[in-house]
Amino acid sequence: MDEFESEMRQAFERRPAPPGLKRRLMEKRRTRKPYDSFFTWQRLAASLALTAILAGGLQWRNVEERRKEEEAREQVMTALRITSHALNQMNARLAARRRGSQD
Amino acid sequence: MAHDWQADFEQLVDQHQSMVFSLALRMTGDRGLAEEIAQDVFLELDRNLGRIENADHACFWLRRVAMNRSTDAMRRRRVRGMDLWVEMEDVHGVTTEDRGTPLGARLEQLLATLSEPQRAALILRYQEDLTPEEIADTLDAPLSTVKSHLQRGLKLLRAKAQSHLKEYVRDNKYAGGA
Repeated sequence: MDEFESEMRQAFERRPAPPGLKRRLMEKRRTRKPYDSFFTWQRLAASLALTAILAGGLQWRNVEERRKEEEAREQVMTALRITSHALNQMNARLAARRRGSQD
Repeated sequence: MAHDWQADFEQLVDQHQSMVFSLALRMTGDRGLAEEIAQDVFLELDRNLGRIENADHACFWLRRVAMNRSTDAMRRRRVRGMDLWVEMEDVHGVTTEDRGTPLGARLEQLLATLSEPQRAALILRYQEDLTPEEIADTLDAPLSTVKSHLQRGLKLLRAKAQSHLKEYVRDNKYAGGA
């Protein structure tokens, strides 16, 4: 350790805490305790409420997505049914025309 | 055995208030803020007293929380655009006499010009007399990073001291010390 470092050590000695720091701290400690537990409960309740809202929102979104999927599936099925019906009709007409031309 | 140790909050405040206050003061340069930080640190200790295993753990815990709180406070102030080290003299009226020798006072001022990590490492090294390994533990930083901060910080401080403190430059007191 050189001279500069020993000067640093001397310069950086601990400073005494301000007078009354302990007294102010103990007062704060006394008055803060009940509030602390109050705020802890408040925070806990708020967290629970937020979690419930988020879970509800997610659940609602899932249900809504499932409903939309079901609706889309129904629409596709209806479209397929209509198409199938039209094709059947077309086949029947073609068959009738073919029979007519053979006769 | 570690469990034989009984944490006494008041006794811990008596023992460590000077350490916590000095760490916060040297990190922030603001006496008012340093006192606020010291109070917060001890109130946090009060809430976590059950987890403190022994006297050494209490000291380690206090150092770590004091450094973290000081860094957070400086970050908050920086966001608001305030220069803390200007306040030391302007607001709280700390004079050179309060800070020991003129060189000591100047060194403290020059310390403020270093980066936060360098300042933190130097404070823990020279105020708390910690080894680089202990500093790394306290700051939760890699040892190589701490060693680099110490070396660069000390080199910078030495260079700044040489250029600022004319009497020491004149005497060439610290020439060739790096």
